[in-house]
Amino acid sequence: MTEPLLRVEHLAVGFPSKAGVVQAVTDVSFDVMPGETLAVVGESGSGKSVTALTVMRLHPKATRISGSIMFQGRDLLALGDDDMRAIRGNDVAMIFQDPMTALNPVFSVGSQIVESIRIHQQVTKQAAWERAVDLLALVGVPEPKRRAAQYPHEYSGGMRQRAMIAMAIANEPKLLIADEPTTALDVTVQAQVMEVLHEVQQATGSAMMLITHDLGLVAGTADRVQVMYASRLVETGGVDDIFYRSRNPYTRALLDSIPDLHATTDRLEPIPGNPPSLLRPPSGCPFRPRCQMAIDTCATAVPELVMVGEGHASRCHRTADITLNAEVTS
Amino acid sequence: MTTIDAAAVAEADAIEGLSEQPKSFGRLAWERFIHHRLALVGLIGLMLIVASFIIGPMINDHPFDKPDVLNRLQGPSKEHWFGTDEIGRDLFVRTARGGRYSILIGLLSAVVSTAVGTLIGAAAGYFGKMVDAVIAQVINLVLVVPGLIVLSVFALNFGSNWWRLSLVLAALSWVRIARVARGVVLSIKEQDYVMAARAAGASHSRILFRHILPNVVGAVTVEITLLVGSIIVLESTLSFLGLGVRPPDTSLGRLVADAKGNIDNDPLRVLTPGLVIVLIVLCVNFLGDGLRDALDPKARSNRDD
Repeated sequence: MTEPLLRVEHLAVGFPSKAGVVQAVTDVSFDVMPGETLAVVGESGSGKSVTALTVMRLHPKATRISGSIMFQGRDLLALGDDDMRAIRGNDVAMIFQDPMTALNPVFSVGSQIVESIRIHQQVTKQAAWERAVDLLALVGVPEPKRRAAQYPHEYSGGMRQRAMIAMAIANEPKLLIADEPTTALDVTVQAQVMEVLHEVQQATGSAMMLITHDLGLVAGTADRVQVMYASRLVETGGVDDIFYRSRNPYTRALLDSIPDLHATTDRLEPIPGNPPSLLRPPSGCPFRPRCQMAIDTCATAVPELVMVGEGHASRCHRTADITLNAEVTS
Repeated sequence: MTTIDAAAVAEADAIEGLSEQPKSFGRLAWERFIHHRLALVGLIGLMLIVASFIIGPMINDHPFDKPDVLNRLQGPSKEHWFGTDEIGRDLFVRTARGGRYSILIGLLSAVVSTAVGTLIGAAAGYFGKMVDAVIAQVINLVLVVPGLIVLSVFALNFGSNWWRLSLVLAALSWVRIARVARGVVLSIKEQDYVMAARAAGASHSRILFRHILPNVVGAVTVEITLLVGSIIVLESTLSFLGLGVRPPDTSLGRLVADAKGNIDNDPLRVLTPGLVIVLIVLCVNFLGDGLRDALDPKARSNRDD
């Protein structure tokens, strides 16, 4: 078995506030293998974006972090600022959620790509510019030569996200972190952008961490999926494990809330209630107040993440009761 | 990988009329600027004023400091465009000389306070925490210092040639620029593109100088022009109080002061230098207005008209 590219172990991230510490990530461990796509799924506030930002060490300064983030054998949390800068954008690159604001309005798109190349590579401006034009062509920006000289406000949303992707892959990173790359985009453009991401990944052979709340997006692109809820991993497995053999009530509830064209009922099944406060989480399993399967044990103990199959783990006291195709009710 | 046939693109460009070189930011800003009517008025007005201050005394050739008692207190005439003062010195030549000093002092102290203020303010906004706390206190300190008193003490002790005066004025005014720069940087550093630049591995200085400062230029430009105006007024005030430029040299403020005793008989003598001050300040402010619009990176590349 090959070495994982990224190995996160027992990561915990807390934000101190006046009311106490907001625990955004609790005991999260996972691997990303070279070239694979790992989707991290969860509701807003589940800790998925914080996990991604912490890997890049872009979290706010006054943050409490424990655990380790090993990237190619180096602990990113222990690196000095200069060493970390050398990794950012070079070995690990990030694509942000909103392409409308993630490009600097003062510079042409081409010169922003040139900049990200020249931060890490010693090449002439001319060579970097040619590379920028090639990159824009690669991500499907039409007339890349002309478009490279244009400013972000002259680009549409989808085109900007393509430009962001071009910037992110400029140094052929080994790991791409895409933080909800399609959330701010039109539905019709989302598919195109995902297609571009997929092609780019094929071309550069990089691994990808895809942060999203859109399970539909995950099905087509991810190799493995991990579901987060209230700062913890609740289920992790291959994409088929999650979609067809889920052993976790939260994942199942998420799947039930996806609109289905072939569904027989007219109504969607929303998950009742709201995610719990991370400042004062409920006792026991954080999903308990919203869970239809909750039993007494759920109120007293946080369930462990237990293996339920080959590379498939779930965090639930009643994992054993959730069998294939079983009705998820108590 | 998508490959683009260069020939096909060139052809398509030619058909669409797109083959011309893309315009740079500077060029776009210039185009927006010359379409801004008020700004153009300001720029041309300022150029005319400066030109008349330089060329005028060559045509209407009188010494600025030589008394001519035979021609004292004359009204405007062909010989003396603005008339003469009580010892017969030509008032146009004196106004031009004073105006040149006023503009020089305004520009020099604006340049110095902009450079200092932008850097310090931006550093405070960007680094936050201790740096910000210290700089904020310094700014507050300078703000509460009564400028006029500092200036008068300084002028009395060190004399007052124009560049020394400018530096003291700058030392008192940089805080205005610093406050604006700090505020803008505070909002800009939270922008996603700053985070994106960090994610691309950019260093602090690169982020500050390349990503943040260019976005500060617009807001600071407006403040600079307001500053030039108020520095010119402040210098005039000082000279009016007898603390600015020393006689026999003169400045606009001193000209007003010299004429004030005679205001009942000869209101024109007070009015002309005063009007020149107003005109200069007005032109500079128009200019700043246009510059702000022109330097706005989000402005449209082409105007409708």
